[in-house]
Amino acid sequence: MKFWINFLKGFHLTRKTARLVLLLFVINLIAALILAIPMYNSLKDSFGHSLVGNRMAKGFDTLWWEEFHDQSEGFEQTFTPFILGKGAILENLEMLVQIKFFELPPIIIIFGLAYILLHTFLAGGILAVFNKEPPRFSMTTFLSDAAHYFLRFFLITLVSWIFFFGLTGSLNHWFNSIVNRVAEHAFSEITPFYISLFFNLITFFLILLFRMVFDYSRIAIVADSEKNILKAVATAIGFVIKNPGSTLSLFYTVFAANVVVTLFFNLVRSFIPQTNAVGVLSAFIFQQMFIFAVVWVRCWLYASQLELYKYIPKEV
Amino acid sequence: MKELKRTIAIGALLFLLPWILFAESREVYLSDETLCDQIANYTTDIRLDTERNLIIGSELLTWTNTSEKPTETMWFHLYWNAFQNNMSTFIRERALEGRPIPQFSKDDWGYCRVSSINMIKIEAEEVFDLTPFMEFRQPDDNNILDQTVFTVELPEPLEPGQTVTLQIDFHAKVPRPISRTGVYKDYYFIAQWFPKVGVYQDGIWNCHQYHAHSEYFADYGTYDVKITLPSSYIVGATGEQREKKVNGDGTTTYRFVQHSVHDFAWTASPHFRVHRETFQFAPGNSTEITLLLQPYHKRLKDRYMNAVKHAIKYASLWYGNYPYTTVTCVDPAYNSHSGGMEYPTFFTGGAYFLDPPGSGSPESVTIHEFGHGYFFGLVGSNEFEHAWMDEGLTSFLDTEIYYTAYGQPYMTKRYFGIPFLFKNAPIPIELDEYQGVSGYRRMSDRDDMQRFSWQFMNGESYTANVYFKAELMLRTLKRYLGPEIFARMIKDYSEKWWCAHPKPKDFYDTVAAHAGQDMSWFLDQFIYGSENLDYAVTAIENRKPRRPKGWFDGIYRERAQDQFSPPAYESEVLVRRLGGVCIPVDVLIVFEDGRELREHWDGQYRWKKFIYSGPVGIKQAIVDPDFKLVLDINRTNNSWVVEPEGLSPWKWTSTWLLWLQYALECLKFFGS
Repeated sequence: MKFWINFLKGFHLTRKTARLVLLLFVINLIAALILAIPMYNSLKDSFGHSLVGNRMAKGFDTLWWEEFHDQSEGFEQTFTPFILGKGAILENLEMLVQIKFFELPPIIIIFGLAYILLHTFLAGGILAVFNKEPPRFSMTTFLSDAAHYFLRFFLITLVSWIFFFGLTGSLNHWFNSIVNRVAEHAFSEITPFYISLFFNLITFFLILLFRMVFDYSRIAIVADSEKNILKAVATAIGFVIKNPGSTLSLFYTVFAANVVVTLFFNLVRSFIPQTNAVGVLSAFIFQQMFIFAVVWVRCWLYASQLELYKYIPKEV
Repeated sequence: MKELKRTIAIGALLFLLPWILFAESREVYLSDETLCDQIANYTTDIRLDTERNLIIGSELLTWTNTSEKPTETMWFHLYWNAFQNNMSTFIRERALEGRPIPQFSKDDWGYCRVSSINMIKIEAEEVFDLTPFMEFRQPDDNNILDQTVFTVELPEPLEPGQTVTLQIDFHAKVPRPISRTGVYKDYYFIAQWFPKVGVYQDGIWNCHQYHAHSEYFADYGTYDVKITLPSSYIVGATGEQREKKVNGDGTTTYRFVQHSVHDFAWTASPHFRVHRETFQFAPGNSTEITLLLQPYHKRLKDRYMNAVKHAIKYASLWYGNYPYTTVTCVDPAYNSHSGGMEYPTFFTGGAYFLDPPGSGSPESVTIHEFGHGYFFGLVGSNEFEHAWMDEGLTSFLDTEIYYTAYGQPYMTKRYFGIPFLFKNAPIPIELDEYQGVSGYRRMSDRDDMQRFSWQFMNGESYTANVYFKAELMLRTLKRYLGPEIFARMIKDYSEKWWCAHPKPKDFYDTVAAHAGQDMSWFLDQFIYGSENLDYAVTAIENRKPRRPKGWFDGIYRERAQDQFSPPAYESEVLVRRLGGVCIPVDVLIVFEDGRELREHWDGQYRWKKFIYSGPVGIKQAIVDPDFKLVLDINRTNNSWVVEPEGLSPWKWTSTWLLWLQYALECLKFFGS
């Protein structure tokens, strides 16, 4: 039950550093708002003085959307009915598992890469906060720690891309070719469907696994003051291999918490009518609570993993 | 016309004789009462060799010259030769468009070879071998490597009303699935497979090559087809199954017969689940529905069956009672590329095993393909030359039936292969089943609707004009004429032209007869034009009138004072015609006190200002308030509200923001 203790410890740590979570949430919101402002302007221009605006206040006007979609380009193309409700989650989940982010409009890809870079920087600060005894958050220390670890974390990120995009991407490509070959000769669409689903599960599992390994690589750098990033990666791999039960249980328990949060959010949000300003504001606030929860769970995972890493004695 | 009918009757009688003279124990079916003149009658006996994927057999064609002019040649289609190599016109046109060329091995290509053609002269009891007089022709593009059309010289001209009987021996290699025909594993879908006579119309042979975007055109007749194949196969085909004879050599012979049709297609597979129901669609009218379902689609059985029933019921009501005794719906095998295609009394649907109700699949395609039974089948539009008269009218039919029977479908998207319905995003009928309007908007100015099928700029333009624009034009016409007049018109058009191969002018005449006026001004703009339709309200101005200032002499001072009576408003609405299409249109003006005023604008000039003065200003204006002009490419600019709703941009930006924020969190996977 090592994972359970650290799971709770992680939660406790995250709770104690709620300001950190808040900061990360605000960063997410501000980053998103940078693109949301031009999107707002595009929508406002499109609705203009038209009655479409009134109809869109009550529901979704598919007729308008098709016109908007046909006339728009770039990031505006991402405004589709498929971002409504469960779509917002499913679209991203599929992009994640099938590494389809590169199919997004270039501006969003560039923006996304900048965001990854920013979080590569912040990750050092986050782990340093959790590593302190007692854990505490101050902006100056946070930023100086982030800067301290940035180079190593950046290199870790580059190495992780070999796994994420190189390995998983190639694997995806290979899986797709297998599915296509099977599909070409299959009796029905059911066989390729299940094979594809199975491959997606494998890919998803691998992405989660890689993420966990690279989490521990970063943890090793912070907790062990490891300077050599390859050694950190090797340490992380060794740690996961030696403690598969604890590491995987912990990871998947937090992941399950993420799923629960997501399901709960989707369920509740569908009951918020957005036909007036109060409804729209309520939905917005609820959405932000959801994103805050997602950020919280991510910090919780980091904190729990760090605790687990410190909890299990290392071989000398 | 009476003379013609008499000669056809004689022709039909002569049709019986060759079998007495030359055929061994062959029964010939000819209905006492036929719906159409039986011009091209085929009695065919074939064997499917499933080892070599070969169809071997012969057909006895009895054809009557119904033109007013004699003919010295006969023209035939050999459609399957489009699939015999990569140099046919069909494949070349696909390649030119950048569509993938089939990567076929030698064994995958298909063809149809005529071994012999003999003309049988009944009275003289003579047989003329016409085989040496066969010649491949390329009437459309002079591609000498295209062998999809051939002619034979007759020994003497065939006079109007005369009938000729030809025995044609042929064998056909079944291709790998392409263009809704072929074999995939042990599923055979066999269409356009036999030597088929062209249409002799107005003294000219109408017999085009097989093109990448063209479909078919043929004359009506009786098809009496015997198919022999291994007994393990289940067979479905055009018409009624009259016989099923087990031969004792492991094969079974099926015999299908149907009069008043212009094509015959069939399918065979050992895996079909067969479902049959007799459906009474109107008092005293019923038909037998056969559903040939793939075993892995068994959960879709009721949805297929209900879609066919809805299609028969509403099509009978709106376009004339379905006149045949059978209809067969085939759920196509996976990878067979045979989905969504129509043949007389026989068609293919298409579905994904997880399709949820509300997605429109398989209902929409089922209704659509059944609907072709009217405008391709019964009316017999020339799909080579006037494709919109089939595809457009059928698309209109299918949408009308779908929305009446099922209501609005919803946007659907598959994630990880699982389809999800987006009930927040219903698809209104004006959208033409998602992407219809979009396709039309992108392509409407590329081509006129009325073009020969292979002369469109590309496949996208063909689809946008022939399917989408034609359907939208009909829906606009319906709203313009009113639903009652339109309903009478479309039913009249359908029933009046059964078996008659109408041309665009015939459609114009029918519309005019019901509209009570020549509607060319309307139809021409869409059928023979490629301008866009776009009306817009571009401004509303509410102004306080100017107080009279300056020099007014005598009576003019009083008049100026009279005109100024504060606090009145002077209001102005500017309506513009941004597209080239010009149709009279209504404009609805709503004042701030809720009063409504409906204006009419002939739309002739590029813009029109409506000016009012009164105690209150204008709140909003809508051009085409009843949404009659479904073809309007920009509906958003049709209205103008002085004080627009400010909530929507916030609401939808907030919705999009969530997607983006979550995307950013997912991206973090790759960095921290």
